[in-house]
Amino acid sequence: MAELLSLAQLLLPTSAMLKTSPIETSTAGHRLDMDGIRVRYGSATAVDGVTLTVEPGEILALLGPSGCGKTTLLRTVAGFIRADAGRVLVDGRPIDHLPPGGRGVGIVFQSYALFPHMTAAQNVAYGLEARGRPKAEIVRRVEAALAAVRMEAFGERRPRALSGGQQQRVALARALATEPRILLLDEPFAALDRALRLDLQLEIKRIQRRFGVTAVLVTHDQDEAMSMADRMAVMNRGQVEQVAAPAEVYDTPATPFVAGFVGTSNRLHGKIEARQGEDYRIRLDVGATVTVPSQRGFALGERVLLSARPEHLMLHPDAPETAGSWPARLRLSLPLGPALVHDVEAGNTELKLHQARHGAPPSPGPVRIGLSPGARPALFPVGDAT
Amino acid sequence: MSRFAARDKPLALLILALAAIGLLILIGPVLIVLLTSFTTSQALRFPPPGLTLRWYADLFDPARSAQIHVAAGNSLAVAACTAALSTALATGAALAISRSRATWARMAEGGFMAPLVLPGIAYGLATLMFFSWLRQPPSFGLLVAGHAMIATPFALRTIGASAAGLDPALLESSAILGASPWRTFRRVVLPLIMPGVAAGAFLAFVSSLDNVPVSLFLSSAETDMLPIRMWGMMETSLDVRVAAASGVLVAVAFLLLVVMDRAVGLVRRMAG
Repeated sequence: MAELLSLAQLLLPTSAMLKTSPIETSTAGHRLDMDGIRVRYGSATAVDGVTLTVEPGEILALLGPSGCGKTTLLRTVAGFIRADAGRVLVDGRPIDHLPPGGRGVGIVFQSYALFPHMTAAQNVAYGLEARGRPKAEIVRRVEAALAAVRMEAFGERRPRALSGGQQQRVALARALATEPRILLLDEPFAALDRALRLDLQLEIKRIQRRFGVTAVLVTHDQDEAMSMADRMAVMNRGQVEQVAAPAEVYDTPATPFVAGFVGTSNRLHGKIEARQGEDYRIRLDVGATVTVPSQRGFALGERVLLSARPEHLMLHPDAPETAGSWPARLRLSLPLGPALVHDVEAGNTELKLHQARHGAPPSPGPVRIGLSPGARPALFPVGDAT
Repeated sequence: MSRFAARDKPLALLILALAAIGLLILIGPVLIVLLTSFTTSQALRFPPPGLTLRWYADLFDPARSAQIHVAAGNSLAVAACTAALSTALATGAALAISRSRATWARMAEGGFMAPLVLPGIAYGLATLMFFSWLRQPPSFGLLVAGHAMIATPFALRTIGASAAGLDPALLESSAILGASPWRTFRRVVLPLIMPGVAAGAFLAFVSSLDNVPVSLFLSSAETDMLPIRMWGMMETSLDVRVAAASGVLVAVAFLLLVVMDRAVGLVRRMAG
């Protein structure tokens, strides 16, 4: 059974810590493997057999709702939690037996966790002092780390005298100063203003690229995962539902959960009527017949869930009745710059539509809805639907 | 708004009156003792017929008050050792139990806090019986042990509050940066809980200094304690130096309180 390390445990030396000297390697280009990791809290399974690889120099985002196990997985890699099963490997060598300080792993917490009684420079020096580096080297490396995050002018400030974004950059400098092989980012933008976030995301990504450090980013914010990550692993109930590049996750979600969690989706139920190659003709319950391509195999007559992005659907304000469209009622249209977001009611389902705006938004009332030309909404067998 | 104020006025007056009575009961006797300590009379009587400092002079006279000085020295030494021991115990206990929600932690906390509600006189008798069962004659060490038991809950209160306010991410950061547990304790934990530790040490010191029940049972001729000596003087001679000694104790405690409050916000910590 996994146990959180209590305060007392953190303060007691472990035999591994005394035996292991800190890993001394350069930061760039290390590979992280999580192999069949399982973590249980009592009877609840927090991480349920996760196998993931983070390629050298890559940012992998662990994305999912709270309680999906993403933070537990990160803490297992950091060494704060012991897995009940599975291994964590860096460059192919297991690190499960090593204490947090001996793993060559750096972390930036959501709260930044800067030591409040030390200056920014002292915070950055902390890990180097703990590893017994010579004084001159510490001074040089602290300066370099602060310069890398453009905080060299703030070295003598206490964390309290720094803004949230500045604190985050000092926390990043502190983590990078010890030259970790793996950088862990635990919701590092959650405490920041929305306006600041994008700037810092860009900045952190730039620094990560410059150091070439392999990074794992935990977040529940899909925009953050999209903008930061090379690939993202979408987690639900302790399992990884899909690992792919952000655009691929958005365009071809592997499960209904992924379709619903990443981006907005409209869920329409229907039945397979005919098949021609990879094109399926589907009779939707709302009363239209549409043709959708899919890589999955479906049987004739099978119930399916069609998950359509807002831009996959189109509004026809005064179109004639066609087989490919169905009647609905437009409740509201929001002009968002060059785009229009429509809030539509069809039967007892609510639909969200997103399309380019030409002129003034249409007025509420009866309309017809259809698939946009070339749209490839995702199809799932209904057994999967949750 | 004004109607509410008018209706609430009698209630406000009542609360004010109760508070005034409470303060009077708390502070009144102290003021009476302080005034009496300046009396020109030979007896402990209030109000004093005239004012003089002769009892303070007597109290500090090394020849005439030698026994009191020995007792005061013992009391201060025991209080200092008690404060050190209680603070060390309470710091360890606070770090172990403050973050745990486990049953053992709650039970341990209850155990540490128990001396607060235990009747002092019963506890004093119990320690005496316990130590004589162990065939230990009364000694300085036993006095400190007995006092530490009483004083630790006070220290645990303030240190526990400080430790509970520690962000666990700070300790994890320290660990992942490669610091040993001892370095984490010395460089991160201790500096951050220091105000609570200082406040706890002060409370433990004061609670030991004026402890009567434990000292009553565990002190001996060699380890005469100030409160016991003062009580003896009262019983035999109604000596006015007792009032003077009380005055000194009150003044020292008040001075320490002000200093501690300035330094670490003691009053706020005790309330918390």
